[in-house]
Amino acid sequence: MVNGRLVAGLLVAAGLAAAPAVLPPFFLYLLALILVTGLLATSLNLVLGYGGLYQFHHGVFYGIGAYTAAVGITRLGWPAWLALVAGPVAAAAAGLVIGFFCVRLSRLYFGMLQLSLGSLVWIVALRWYPVTGGDNGIHGIPLPAALQTLPGAYALVACTVAASLGVLWAVVQSPFGLTLQAIRDNPQRAQVMGVDVRAHQLAAMVLAAFFAGVAGVLYVALERSVFPNMLFWVLSLEILVMCLLGGWFTFPGPMVGAAVLVGLRTLVGRYTEYWTLVLGVLLILLIFFLPEGIMGHLQRRWTWTRAPSPRPAAAGDARG
Amino acid sequence: MTDRRWRVLVAAVVAVSAVAGAGAAPAVRFDRNIKVGVVDTYSGPPAVFGNDALNGFKLALQEINRDGVHGARIEFVTRDEKFSPEIGLSMARELVLQERVDVLVGTINSATALAISAFAREQRVPFIVWISKSEDITGAKGHRYVFSTGENTAMAGKALAEAMARRGFTRFWLGAEDYEYGHRITNSFWKFMKRAKPEATLLGQTWWRTGEPDLVPYLTQIQQARPQAVFFGTGGAGMANVLRTMKVIGFNVPTAIHTAIDVTVLRPLGAAAPEGVFGTTDYLFYYPDTPANRKFVQDFQAAYGGPPGFPAFHGYITAYFIAEAFRKARSLDRDRFVEALEGLRIPTPVGEVEMRGCDHQAVLPMIFGVTRRDPRFPFLVGANLVTIPGRDVMPTCEDIRRARERAQ
Amino acid sequence: MDAGAVLGQLVVGLSRAMILFIVSAGLTLVLGVLRVPNVFHGSLYMVGAFVAWSVAEALGGHPAGLWLALATAPLVTAGVGLALERLLLCRLYHREHLMLILFTFGVMLVLNDLVKLLWGPTYRSLVPPPSLQGAVTVLGVALPRFNLVLLVAGPLVAVGLWLFAHRTRAGKVSRAAATDRDMVAALGVDVGRVFALAFAVGCFLAGLGGALVAPTTSITLGMDHSLLIDSFLIVIVGGLGNLWGALVGSLLFGVTQSVGLLVWPQFAIAFPYAVTAAVLLVRPTGLLRSAW
Repeated sequence: MVNGRLVAGLLVAAGLAAAPAVLPPFFLYLLALILVTGLLATSLNLVLGYGGLYQFHHGVFYGIGAYTAAVGITRLGWPAWLALVAGPVAAAAAGLVIGFFCVRLSRLYFGMLQLSLGSLVWIVALRWYPVTGGDNGIHGIPLPAALQTLPGAYALVACTVAASLGVLWAVVQSPFGLTLQAIRDNPQRAQVMGVDVRAHQLAAMVLAAFFAGVAGVLYVALERSVFPNMLFWVLSLEILVMCLLGGWFTFPGPMVGAAVLVGLRTLVGRYTEYWTLVLGVLLILLIFFLPEGIMGHLQRRWTWTRAPSPRPAAAGDARG
Repeated sequence: MTDRRWRVLVAAVVAVSAVAGAGAAPAVRFDRNIKVGVVDTYSGPPAVFGNDALNGFKLALQEINRDGVHGARIEFVTRDEKFSPEIGLSMARELVLQERVDVLVGTINSATALAISAFAREQRVPFIVWISKSEDITGAKGHRYVFSTGENTAMAGKALAEAMARRGFTRFWLGAEDYEYGHRITNSFWKFMKRAKPEATLLGQTWWRTGEPDLVPYLTQIQQARPQAVFFGTGGAGMANVLRTMKVIGFNVPTAIHTAIDVTVLRPLGAAAPEGVFGTTDYLFYYPDTPANRKFVQDFQAAYGGPPGFPAFHGYITAYFIAEAFRKARSLDRDRFVEALEGLRIPTPVGEVEMRGCDHQAVLPMIFGVTRRDPRFPFLVGANLVTIPGRDVMPTCEDIRRARERAQ
Repeated sequence: MDAGAVLGQLVVGLSRAMILFIVSAGLTLVLGVLRVPNVFHGSLYMVGAFVAWSVAEALGGHPAGLWLALATAPLVTAGVGLALERLLLCRLYHREHLMLILFTFGVMLVLNDLVKLLWGPTYRSLVPPPSLQGAVTVLGVALPRFNLVLLVAGPLVAVGLWLFAHRTRAGKVSRAAATDRDMVAALGVDVGRVFALAFAVGCFLAGLGGALVAPTTSITLGMDHSLLIDSFLIVIVGGLGNLWGALVGSLLFGVTQSVGLLVWPQFAIAFPYAVTAAVLLVRPTGLLRSAW
């Protein structure tokens, strides 16, 4: 069982390392973009799939991380390394503040409060023209020469994403991660057993926000631009869909979902302008035939893991 | 002269001509077609401008490709940026890295234009902007690889401000869409208004989200403040809405909007457009009424079912600039293309247009007028037209140099 | 800032609130009775606007065209919603919320692209009949005549929905099913039929909102974006499944934004979100009673 995963992991690592030599520039860029988006989706899944929280506006932390780096470099004159570190820290702080208010609510209300608080952040970015560039965003952000080339940016992205995924994997396997899953499955029981549910959820949110911030600064390294769309609710919904599409009860699921979505947008988008139609149909088919998402289905088929598969919510009387 | 001497003379003349002919340019043939990548908005309210520009571009290509450029035809591919700088940038990236275009062309969204311009500079790909008007494109953020075949906010702001100042308006309210173009055109207008009339006062300003569908609350609030005149900085996404709302609520304050008199703006609105709005544009299909312009309009109407607006004119001259620059460069090399394009003059339906070398900005005139009904057309047109030559409204080369230095 | 200006902006905000109410009422009905967070509710609003335009265009500016459009568009969206519910959605009721969100998101993508396919990417304009063109001066403010229709339509819809919910059998059963669907099923009622009806009514309201807004704005792709998030927030603020809550929430949103323009023009668009956040922090389940 371990061998299978180890071999797969090594193959993937080898593939990532070889990519700059093998892939044409556009596909290398696409791979880097998928890695960044996949990290963002995986960070969301920490609180969504493993934590059971309705994190509807995860994009806020991604945007805050990216904007902090962008504003730091272009308006405050920070050196690149400082900006790239400050981004995730700012995102984690935002996670703490927003999380503090949100964990007091549950399910749909948690998500809605997050949506409204996140939208306020979006409006600030949209309106604070002198600092954030308003509707334009900030472009042409200067970075050290090594990062200005595509292979250089890719190297940073690949290494950081790999390290981040390693940390997230460790978290999920740790006692903290298992407690989080217990809370997801039955919060009252966990509470009765003496677990501080809110504290755990808040900690998970801060961690998730931190890695969303990492994804944000990696985006800056790759595109050297930031856009207010990063803070808009549509992107947050897209990341959510990536998790559900890929399999939100599995670890690699969100990354797979990100690959599908980004790939679809770029590759199908070149042949038809109706690629969202294709995606919509795909999602509907998925819900009926692959309810656990792509990876969830694959993992169940190959029984790589003993993680419990999701039980559908209390089956009421079936209708229709 | 004797018979023999004549023959020697003729032979000498022929020989010299042959040598001169050989010394002149040997025939060049390009080994592949020229590929142009177009990024523009083809969905939503701004699509009417993007389509107009593309139509003008295609009309010119039909004419150009009859003879070709050194044996090559000009091909193009389009990408829809949906008025989003993020999407536009990734489209440009795909066009350059994957489709391997020789030249990038676009777009209507000024923010996208700036984002693509930064990318074009880094990739050393020529980028010709044909609708976006932010003066930063060829001004503070201009560089070797970016060109503009459209007018910019510095030119339009100056023309509008001086015209409004001449009419004696001094107490203004400014309303605009909160994005790059909105900021640039509004700032430019106010800067030149203060220069023309230092006693001009700003009663207030209102900024709304780009493409905001419901402008009634904003316009009613402005009307209640009772300014002497109003300036609106609206672009492709908001132009139709602001004009329609003005007419519906009977907005009775004298208003100036750039491109308000252009047919691309007025035609889709038809009877829903308000009269009496001051505006500027750099091309009108009915003015000046020269034979060349009439022919251009006729061809365009026959091909696309309606008269050309300013985007079509820009698209048309962009194609000719590209063709002539490659012809002059005699090479597909991008840097030679850039050098050939600087300072290039081409004939257009409204006279010769020059691509100024110091900032890569096409020298275009500004036409000022007011919207008025016209029995000849089912839409409003510009009346009381006045032309201001491009050189009178463009920033000087010295201004450009200083702006670029400051931006460093 | 004088009283006249405030009153004027109040009236403007009220007419905008009416559209928000009609759309949000539909959403809260669906959320309350079926517990489905319908992400394609906004797309149906957009479909309603486009269908209204098509009907009015087909009648070539005939004065009755607009009224026919207002009648047809909601029926079309109700039909679309009903078909989707009977064929696909009803099989997913036992699934978790996130799956329902995913499904309705997928349908939203499909519907949006279908609109683009059928009507093309350019924007449309719907001109109201001459009797409703121009503006009237209400409290010193020039209000588009058509907005008066909105000021009348909103309360009419509110009254109609109340009558439906409290005076018809179907409505009463829907309210019961919203509170306890198992009990209602145990009493022998075909809950499936109840759900289908409630969903159809919800989609009808979305289409009606779109048709009513069509003469006042550019009918374009993407008009559903801001409306969708606004209606979700309104529904949460008002209380899930609570019609009066939807009214209160819509009034809050519409009025705070338009009056906010007088107070703080730069950040007026933030007021609705700030209000929502404040309400959720103080009363997490919404201002009025929630169905669940």
